[in-house]
Amino acid sequence: MIVYEIQNLCKIYPGQNHPANDNISLQIRQGEIFGLLGDNGAGKSTLVKQMVNLLRPTSGTIRLWERPLTHTPMHVPLQVGYMPQDSAALNNLTFGEALYFTAHLRGLSREKARQERDRLLALWQAESLRDRYSSRLSGGQRRLLRLAVAMAGQPSILILDEPTNDLDPQRRKLVWDVLREENQQRGTTIIFITHDAIEAEKVIQRVGILHDGKLVANGRPSELKQAVDQKLRLELFFTPSQEPDVPAHLPKHIIQPGQWLLLLDWAEGTAVLNQLDLKQIDDFRLYTATLEDLYLHYARRP
Amino acid sequence: MQDGRNFQPFLAQIWDLLLIELTNWRWSWRSMVVLGTIAPLLSMLGLSVFARDAGLEALTYVLTGNIVLALMFGIMNNVQSHIIFMRFMGSLDYFGTLPVRKSALILAIILAFFLLALPSVWVTAVVGSWLLGITLQPSWWLLLVIPICTLPLSGVGALIGVIARTQAESGTISTLLTLLMLGLGPVVIPPDRLPAILQAVGRFSPATYAASALRQALLGPITPQLWRDLGVMLLLGGIVFWIVDRKMDWRQRG
Repeated sequence: MIVYEIQNLCKIYPGQNHPANDNISLQIRQGEIFGLLGDNGAGKSTLVKQMVNLLRPTSGTIRLWERPLTHTPMHVPLQVGYMPQDSAALNNLTFGEALYFTAHLRGLSREKARQERDRLLALWQAESLRDRYSSRLSGGQRRLLRLAVAMAGQPSILILDEPTNDLDPQRRKLVWDVLREENQQRGTTIIFITHDAIEAEKVIQRVGILHDGKLVANGRPSELKQAVDQKLRLELFFTPSQEPDVPAHLPKHIIQPGQWLLLLDWAEGTAVLNQLDLKQIDDFRLYTATLEDLYLHYARRP
Repeated sequence: MQDGRNFQPFLAQIWDLLLIELTNWRWSWRSMVVLGTIAPLLSMLGLSVFARDAGLEALTYVLTGNIVLALMFGIMNNVQSHIIFMRFMGSLDYFGTLPVRKSALILAIILAFFLLALPSVWVTAVVGSWLLGITLQPSWWLLLVIPICTLPLSGVGALIGVIARTQAESGTISTLLTLLMLGLGPVVIPPDRLPAILQAVGRFSPATYAASALRQALLGPITPQLWRDLGVMLLLGGIVFWIVDRKMDWRQRG
């Protein structure tokens, strides 16, 4: 089932000529995890702000569960939890108050809102932050609070604008784990913007890449990778003074002394690995194009 | 709607939003009350020097006019600066993505500032009457008069916050309007001491009706003029809030 249907969406901010979003058409399906990638200024935040009804499109339509957003503006807040990149709205609330009020305003009873607050505090490992004021939290803790607030009341769709920025590796892992679990257990549709393409690859089921306001790629990462680049990457790690022997026809990219990147055709992967003298190398990694490679491929196109 | 979830009732929305709004002042409410009291008290001290020779009526205008000033500082200016802050700091985005009505948010903001302004109003009235040597004769009508006085004043503040292009512009308009509303019309100065043109201009200012209503409810006697004052303020408040509700962009901004 289609959750969001976006058709020919254009957004030109007042006083500007260049569109921030240029003729974007996109469908988001129920229960999928959709990642939006793109360089700074590509129009990602503009797109999601229109999807949560904070911005009015210049032209085109956005439908949520088949209803145009413009016709039923109160439909979105009941269904969608939105995490903005930044917000001063919660600055004077404690972690616990922000969760409780948001859950209650999203339609839960007072008792259930309290239970929801406690569930989210546990889910985000933030019990010790319950009575801390938002303004006194660290940048990473505040981002977790905004994530938890977006999830308060268990909306069926989450739209998250850069959920892992400012987070340490441990918390980044927590975010991806929680989002994956939320998606699998509740069927929550998750749409997020990220620059963290390598980590996002662990959870993304479908990806859209924005460049200069246009949606330049849209599909499953594996499909896009095949269309863009069918090479295998073989990374070799060795002692810099003892270079390993590799087939002469393979182009070598020297990443740094003691680390090479070889690009192989799929068909020759096994043969090249068999030829390698493992005594000459400390370690190796074999992988296909990453989401980051895809992102860079599309973002660098003129 | 996919899971049958529904909005909270309007009053529940207002209550939650009021509590959220009040948390904004959990640390600064004391300084807010002090600041909201100092301006009217200083103004009263200055004006009383001249008003003493002009008789009791002039002193009553000084007292009630400065209570209106306390309301303008405490409600009109604060509502204005809070709404423009919310517009520019992204706070409206948070509320705009929750299932709450715009009118509930506006009412909660005004109610919060009304509660925060009450101590200033009370201190201004009590200390002012002592300073000016006036005996207060408060009527029960005061319980109705003060909330109705805040309606058009807070509405004007909200309107400035909604339509101003920058925070600086909003603050300037609000301060200018406070001074104009105080000076143009019989608010702190009795009408017989004002030129006819200022008396005429004052008829368009909510501060004139607020001062008149407060004078009757605080010092007596209650006259039919009170109903006219309350009626005009309700009408002005209704018009201004209707405009604010239409103008305030928080969803579907351009």
